[in-house]
Amino acid sequence: MKNIALLFVAVTFLLIAEGCRRSEKLDDNKPTIALVLKTLNNPYFIDMQNGAEAAAKRFNVNIIVQAADREVDVEKQMQIIENLIQMRVNVICVAPSGSQEIVPAILKANEADIPIIAIDTRVDKNVLLESGGEVLSFIGSDNKDGGKLAGQFIVNELGKSGNVAILEGIPGHETGDARLAGFYEVANKSENIKVVVSQTANWERDQGYNVMQNILQAHPEIEAVFACNDMMALGAVEAISAANRTGEIIVVGFDAISDCRAAIKAEEMHASIAQHPEAMGRLAVEYALKVINGESIPDEIPVGIELITKENL
Amino acid sequence: MRLNNLWTTNARQLGTFFGLLLLIVFFWIWTPYFLTISNLLNIAQQTTINAIIAVGLTFVIITAGIDLSVGSIMAFSGVVLASLLKADQPLIVALIGGVLTGGLCGLVNGTLISYGKLPPFIATLGMMSVARGAALLYTDGRPISGFSADFRFISNGEILHIPVPVLLMVLIYFIAHFILTRTKLGRYTYAIGGNELATMLSGVNVKMIKTVVYTLGGMLSGFAAILLTSRLNSAQPIAGIMYELDAIAAAVIGGTSLVGGEGKLSGTLIGALIMGVLRNGLNLLGVSSFIQQIVIGSVIICAVLIDMSLRKNKS
Repeated sequence: MKNIALLFVAVTFLLIAEGCRRSEKLDDNKPTIALVLKTLNNPYFIDMQNGAEAAAKRFNVNIIVQAADREVDVEKQMQIIENLIQMRVNVICVAPSGSQEIVPAILKANEADIPIIAIDTRVDKNVLLESGGEVLSFIGSDNKDGGKLAGQFIVNELGKSGNVAILEGIPGHETGDARLAGFYEVANKSENIKVVVSQTANWERDQGYNVMQNILQAHPEIEAVFACNDMMALGAVEAISAANRTGEIIVVGFDAISDCRAAIKAEEMHASIAQHPEAMGRLAVEYALKVINGESIPDEIPVGIELITKENL
Repeated sequence: MRLNNLWTTNARQLGTFFGLLLLIVFFWIWTPYFLTISNLLNIAQQTTINAIIAVGLTFVIITAGIDLSVGSIMAFSGVVLASLLKADQPLIVALIGGVLTGGLCGLVNGTLISYGKLPPFIATLGMMSVARGAALLYTDGRPISGFSADFRFISNGEILHIPVPVLLMVLIYFIAHFILTRTKLGRYTYAIGGNELATMLSGVNVKMIKTVVYTLGGMLSGFAAILLTSRLNSAQPIAGIMYELDAIAAAVIGGTSLVGGEGKLSGTLIGALIMGVLRNGLNLLGVSSFIQQIVIGSVIICAVLIDMSLRKNKS
């Protein structure tokens, strides 16, 4: 028993040491840019990480990429930012897990004179203004425009009328809300497109599967699904395939991650909205560097958005 | 002689404390950012929420019970608190409302376990889902944000350069330690965990004590909700997912036995600090969050393995 315990202690310390060895070695002579993502278990954010790391290498700066275990854990994201402040990094680029909840962390960075750049998800303007915080810039796509593109695609495919189901993200997320708003703006214009059911699957693939399965039970008349991200869309694709209805239902996702491109190629899915996470990561580093060099940067840096279908894969 | 006594009665806690020191030295060597006053205060602050929830868990686990619902209860208490603040209720009313909401959930837990004879695992598993659902229903799934400066002071304020949440945490530990070691309630808590039947036969109202313990756990979750809501300036219905596991881990690392009858709050506090130090240190080193999870899990297993082998040696 004692031996096992000792063995385990040894293994744990080895693990910590290995973790430290693997952690990026920071060169004190170079500026350090921190990139705080929502999570690293979503390919979308991994692409963003890759884009940023490649850019950091090219511009010869240190980069630290950190994320909470779970996308919704705003408190852990705040802890990460607090810890980065302790490290006195030069700039923090953050993809906020919560548009409003991130504000206290931003205030702390402001106090420590560390500039903040928001990427992917906007910081709530009202809350920010109220508390007197400052975010230098937002780098990202207009999610509402993406929602419109998705809506237009479904309207075109269905023709004049049809029943649509929606898989929402976590309620209260700016990203998901904007996508939905864009979608409804287009869908509401064509009178015969009816949103029969709209449920959240919390951005996750397994929940997308379960919720879609339930929707298929309750509303077999569904002809199209709009999922606010690809993970949920891929879950829905599986559920549709399990019900032997592949191809009968139009599935549109958001983000155009690689799994989803494969699904579009295989005609299991029909479209997705491509944001360019690598570009966001790259631009985050580029503009952070400008900030470090004392240049001023615009408060909005738009990253293009496009509809991906089988035709333009 | 006294020192010797201190060592024998607190061997387990001192062992954990030694582990904490070892970690601190380790990170001190590896990163220059770790051992600074501001970072230590930073860690203390990041530990408060887990540490406070873990107080309730320590009581519960000493009775040989378990509470899986604390994270959900915290979320529910948080949104109730936030809605009271938004409704322009006086600060004190909102705070009490939040704590009472947690206490009420805990009371339901305790009643189900004591009088409904449900296993604690089942009762609190049910509550975990019920409280989460209630929080989502209550807010329509949306966060409630933006509170007064008075309320923000609870997490932002400093008294004598020490963050208010840290002071509150210390205060709670003192009170809880007093209850656990100096009152009947505390002694009965240990007695129930040691031998429930014998405790009952000696005339103690075991059902009532257990109900009180779970209610206390719920109230502490409600209290943690105050700190979390103030810290984020927002109450989220999805807050605190898996926080129960962090709190259980803190108690267990600190030497509280899941079999019941054994445990000290000093150990729990050190356990919570170990988790806080690990997260902070690995963050400062830029270790990926994946490796962090593996390390934290291994530390929990290590702590219990050592604990068990020590116990075996003793007997």
